[in-house]
Amino acid sequence: MGQQETTQQRYGVRRVFDATPLSNGGMSLCLSDRVVELGRREWELYSKLAEWWPMRRSQTEWEEGLGLRSDQIERIAAKLDDAGLLYRRADIPEALTGVEFHRRFTAVLQSWLSEAFSHPFWERMMSGNGSKRLYTGWLIELYHYTKNANRHMPLSCAHTREKPIKAMRAQHYAEEWNHYHYFMKALKALGYTEQAIGQSVPLPVTLALSNFMRQAAREDVLAYSICSAVLEGTTTDRRSYDSYYAKTAELYGVPPDAVDPIYAHLDLDVQYRHSDLFLEILRTVDTIPSARAGRILDYGHQLVEHIWLWTDGIEKYYEDETSPLPRRPFDPFID
Amino acid sequence: MNVAIPVIRRSARVQRSDHAVVLRYLADEITLEGRAAALFSKMLPHLDGKTHLEEMAAQIQEPPGHLRTLADRLCAVGVLTFTAADSESQTMTGEQFYHLHRKYCAHWLRPVYEHPLWEKMVTGKATRAQVIGFAFEKYHYIEGAYEHMAIAAANATPEMMPHLARHFIEEYTHGDIYRNGLRSLFRDELIVAAQPLPSTRALVNFLSESAATSSFSYYAGNELLQLTENTSDAGARGSIAAFYQALRRNYPYTAKLIDSFIAHTRADQKLGHEDVFHKMCRSVPPLSRREVCDAVNVARSTAEHLVLFLDGIDRHYERFPTVPRLPGDLLSQ
Repeated sequence: MGQQETTQQRYGVRRVFDATPLSNGGMSLCLSDRVVELGRREWELYSKLAEWWPMRRSQTEWEEGLGLRSDQIERIAAKLDDAGLLYRRADIPEALTGVEFHRRFTAVLQSWLSEAFSHPFWERMMSGNGSKRLYTGWLIELYHYTKNANRHMPLSCAHTREKPIKAMRAQHYAEEWNHYHYFMKALKALGYTEQAIGQSVPLPVTLALSNFMRQAAREDVLAYSICSAVLEGTTTDRRSYDSYYAKTAELYGVPPDAVDPIYAHLDLDVQYRHSDLFLEILRTVDTIPSARAGRILDYGHQLVEHIWLWTDGIEKYYEDETSPLPRRPFDPFID
Repeated sequence: MNVAIPVIRRSARVQRSDHAVVLRYLADEITLEGRAAALFSKMLPHLDGKTHLEEMAAQIQEPPGHLRTLADRLCAVGVLTFTAADSESQTMTGEQFYHLHRKYCAHWLRPVYEHPLWEKMVTGKATRAQVIGFAFEKYHYIEGAYEHMAIAAANATPEMMPHLARHFIEEYTHGDIYRNGLRSLFRDELIVAAQPLPSTRALVNFLSESAATSSFSYYAGNELLQLTENTSDAGARGSIAAFYQALRRNYPYTAKLIDSFIAHTRADQKLGHEDVFHKMCRSVPPLSRREVCDAVNVARSTAEHLVLFLDGIDRHYERFPTVPRLPGDLLSQ
């Protein structure tokens, strides 16, 4: 007879994207599809459970640590499952089609984007507490990231075996490979020379983002494609970026010539319908086993974490007035 | 006749007051006073790498000998350098590179050694998640040997291949030392499946990319990492021992984790990797300016990624107490 499954094995903990304290001592938890409000006692129990879930604790230790019997723990887990904070592992499908996978991706994308742009940098820029220097720094790193597309987009083609997918990825590359010129144009309008920008080096966080894309490109074209889709997802809604550019231009005296090329780039993305590419790729995929689907989603979420890290690194480096702008490579003969 | 042109180091910082000039370069600080300070202030606008000393002397109406003496002294302490018309074709011996590398690494590692995470752990201010998160991320980073060390061996130049092959073969099991320590707190399958932070991935990915690009530059970056594990002098040994002691005192549940940290340090010591880079530098042919710049930049980037690695642990685990970071599945999002 097999060993009986424990509560820890039976349930998984769902990702919480945001937590806001409530006046009653409880917590409001934001999931990808709902907001769950917990009272103080429920919150204490949940947070302890969530923290302990991955630990190597026996059932007895669980009971002692939580001050509950196993049947009580099981009842709480069932309630948390009903509330959407836990899920039953038995409900995970063994496989799904590409289109079904895309539906799941679409359902979490907005939460992912909110997380990616939850960095205080954006609020700072929009509230007038940023600077032209920060705006410029962000543009320089965007230039490097876009130029570095040449390091990961073709790599994803090289590591793909399925002809329809590699053809779509190659076409995407052909449409995007030289888009860094838009950022160069914007930077020139801000007074930087082509040579100064061309010879500058990206921040480690910008390299991190490109290197992560290279990692995805080598591992799984669908993992790469979800990362690409998250990035494209940041440019589909003109209302969200319009307000950012209009406001920052007004606040920090950014000339129109330094903004227009960026609009031109974003409009081109929309024109090429790059945000639809992931669905087109997934339409060619008959079945994705559950384990692979989980890994692909992980890649998407890790990309979100990389975007947050990227923003953080940009703010830290460029807010320091002593940091060279643009950042030069170190030359031991003159530095 | 020396036709070299003096140029102030681009990263040197100059601070002037009424009677003195303070020059800061890497870890050094030089104060010029009186006549030397006045002469330097007059020279400074011309130390742009375009003006010969004699020409400069004529422009500022000072005896060339005085300029030469001051320039030579500043050059000896590193604040100033001389460029030559043929500087692009200059080469550097491996031995010279080794000493240059040591000097820069000592400077670039300062933010690593001064990172607030160490102080938080030593004083007990770090949270449980930050301490265990540190152990997990260190595990992921050491386990990353399977990626960057293997890539380095597979892409090695003929002269670097024996070093890089040995390096991978000697170190690929070191992740398991940390894994053993983590097993005292977590189920093994969770440790193996756990996901590194993006900042840890950034470090491993950066090393992997440089490993695929240039064997020598990769090892220059790797040597910077090796320096952080260096326990050859009594001072370094003492501070590492004090760090572990403080961890044991502040976080008693980490006893087995700390045993694994110590076991890893000992395993590294046994390998005697401390002088490998020096031997390697002695064995390589003279390096071109481009090779020197590339290797030095990889070392600088490695230090920056190391700071990012520590930042990531400090900030992420302060905000999110769940350790380890479990992989997702179709329903976890």
